Amino acid sequence: MAGKKPTQDWMADWQALQKQYWSAWQDATRNAAGTVPDPALPWHEGLEQWSRQFANSGKQNETAERLLGSAKAYVALMQSMLAVAAGKDAGAGVQAAWTQALRDGFDLPGLNAAFANNPLAAMLQGLRGPGAHGFSELPQAFAPFLAQAKAEGMSWLNAPAFGYAREHQERMQKAAAAFAQFQDAVGKYNALMLQSSQRSFAIFENKLAERSEPGRQIDSLRGLYDLWVDAAEEAYAEIALSDDFRKVYGDVVNAQMRVRAHVQAEVERLGSELGMPTRSELDSVHKRLHGLRRNGADARIAGLERELASVRSELTALKKAVPRAVAAHKIPAPSAKTAKRKR
Amino acid sequence: MGPIRIEPQKALEEAQRFNRKLAAGLSSLRALDEVNYGATAKEEVYREDKLVLYRFRGDKAPTAKVPILIAYALVNRPYMVDLQDDRSLVRNLLARGEDVYLIDWGYPDPSDRYLTLDDYINGYLDRCVDAVARRHKLDAINLLGICQGGAFSLCYASTHPDKIRNLITMVTPVDFHTSDNMLSHWTRGMDVDLFVDTLGNVPADLMNWCYLTLKPVRLFQQKYIGLVDILDDKIELENFLRMEKWIFDSPDQAGEAFRQFIKDFYQANKLVNGGLTIGDKDVSLKNIKMPVLNIFAEQDHLVPPSASRPLRQHVGTRDYTELAFKGGHIGIYVSGRAQREVPGAIHEWLSART
Repeated sequence: MAGKKPTQDWMADWQALQKQYWSAWQDATRNAAGTVPDPALPWHEGLEQWSRQFANSGKQNETAERLLGSAKAYVALMQSMLAVAAGKDAGAGVQAAWTQALRDGFDLPGLNAAFANNPLAAMLQGLRGPGAHGFSELPQAFAPFLAQAKAEGMSWLNAPAFGYAREHQERMQKAAAAFAQFQDAVGKYNALMLQSSQRSFAIFENKLAERSEPGRQIDSLRGLYDLWVDAAEEAYAEIALSDDFRKVYGDVVNAQMRVRAHVQAEVERLGSELGMPTRSELDSVHKRLHGLRRNGADARIAGLERELASVRSELTALKKAVPRAVAAHKIPAPSAKTAKRKR
Repeated sequence: MGPIRIEPQKALEEAQRFNRKLAAGLSSLRALDEVNYGATAKEEVYREDKLVLYRFRGDKAPTAKVPILIAYALVNRPYMVDLQDDRSLVRNLLARGEDVYLIDWGYPDPSDRYLTLDDYINGYLDRCVDAVARRHKLDAINLLGICQGGAFSLCYASTHPDKIRNLITMVTPVDFHTSDNMLSHWTRGMDVDLFVDTLGNVPADLMNWCYLTLKPVRLFQQKYIGLVDILDDKIELENFLRMEKWIFDSPDQAGEAFRQFIKDFYQANKLVNGGLTIGDKDVSLKNIKMPVLNIFAEQDHLVPPSASRPLRQHVGTRDYTELAFKGGHIGIYVSGRAQREVPGAIHEWLSART
């Protein structure tokens, strides 16, 4: 039972833990450049400090970044759950309170606002993917066009273009329309992720209810977190295997490709104007080379096959001719012994 | 009695322990050198474009008369089969007397964009099979295809049956349209022509992102929370980093081969439905009459067992064996159980057929 101490004692412990926590960070960062963190800052700020140092270290940086991103979220969750553990009779824990603690854990100051009630969307916020570099700048690039288009009910994007810059304007209209479609598709995707996040909390409560039997109860913060992860994955799988998701996922990918294609075309145009070789030119060369190589290989193989066929037919002819010649000239066939000596 | 018995004191200690480990991890992570991989000596025996064919060297000479050629997937690096001393399918096969060759497909660059499945299967793979067979003066060798490499091996064994003595497939998708195949489900709404026409080669980062989103909470977050537990264990940390390196050290995908693979395998499910053509050769699993060993992982989230099992109904062989491994798509190579069970099973199965 947790209720032997009054709440204020737990709060004192909590503060003591905070101090130890900061002292651990200070130990860890003592030899590194940078300032010592202010103990008044929330927990996750310590992780930020660490993150900033790692950003300059180079070594194992990617793993450290992933570790820190996850740790930050987990520390926030722990903080939220500790508050429940310290403030309530943990032995008679109420599912809803713990679920709320989880929700709160995704909504702490300093964390990405997208975490609020929607941890899945936050994890997938790079939906465009690191393989699609440059996409983060697109909203800024298209912002003026989209702002104008939205203000005019998107009709501007369909307005006929004319005049000297007609072609340019038409291309930009198409690109802006493609980007608006992409944004729309991402919005639908995020809505499904929100649905999945909400469902994860419902499944979490159900899973908690199943743990009431003696021997199955959860006795650690990690255990509680792991249970939520199981719930979140279950909820995500339900959504991700649905027909709705297939459609929305396809729409996001396809819409992104349309935007990319427009951007690439603009870059090509710019490159051409500057006398730079373009992607299309290189593709064309690669395609021809590939074709030449395949044709060359095919021709070589065909040539070798012809040569082989010719050698085979000569060999067959020889095999037939030799016994006839031997018979005609009465040449004695070489004995095994003679043949061996000759070798 | 409620479901939660978290005592505040223990919760505080747990949080403190987590933070202490995390803080100490700063120095342990910084002190680590770059991790290496590849445990077994090997020699290059054939090279073509970016492809290299290796033969592994064990501590003793091989006793098997027919060598095994491993064809890995294009989407990851093949050193997963020989990651480190105590996690090596290759090393364990060699220790049992097998003679092991491996195809390293290399890292395609934009000049490889137009490589097709015909180039990979009837070209590169075929020439590697020939190179191995020639070295051993054999007409046919054993082929071990892994994941996408397994699908390639099925196509190859179907169209070049005389060159394959025994076929082993590991975590190989056959029926791409089973209800729990998330990856396949997602690809079916994709316009793959638009995708490849736009991207050219498909960036590895994009592929990896897609794989991670199959289990986003586990793979983006929980895995790294678990990492905190081992931050003070150098060996475990190195193992983790080695695996991490493998996961993200991925080649880009040659655009045309990717286009065809998604269209014919993922979208049209032609391996099962029929109508698959690679180059000028029609692929039918019924042509596979050599002995087949199909190994799959019961907890595989990338290639669910339901995608691998149907091979039994579609191959033409009467000598079909199945091995269900208790583990996941990666665990089948690197887990302790895998070291104990998989190489031995492969060796015994082959020994009974050579």
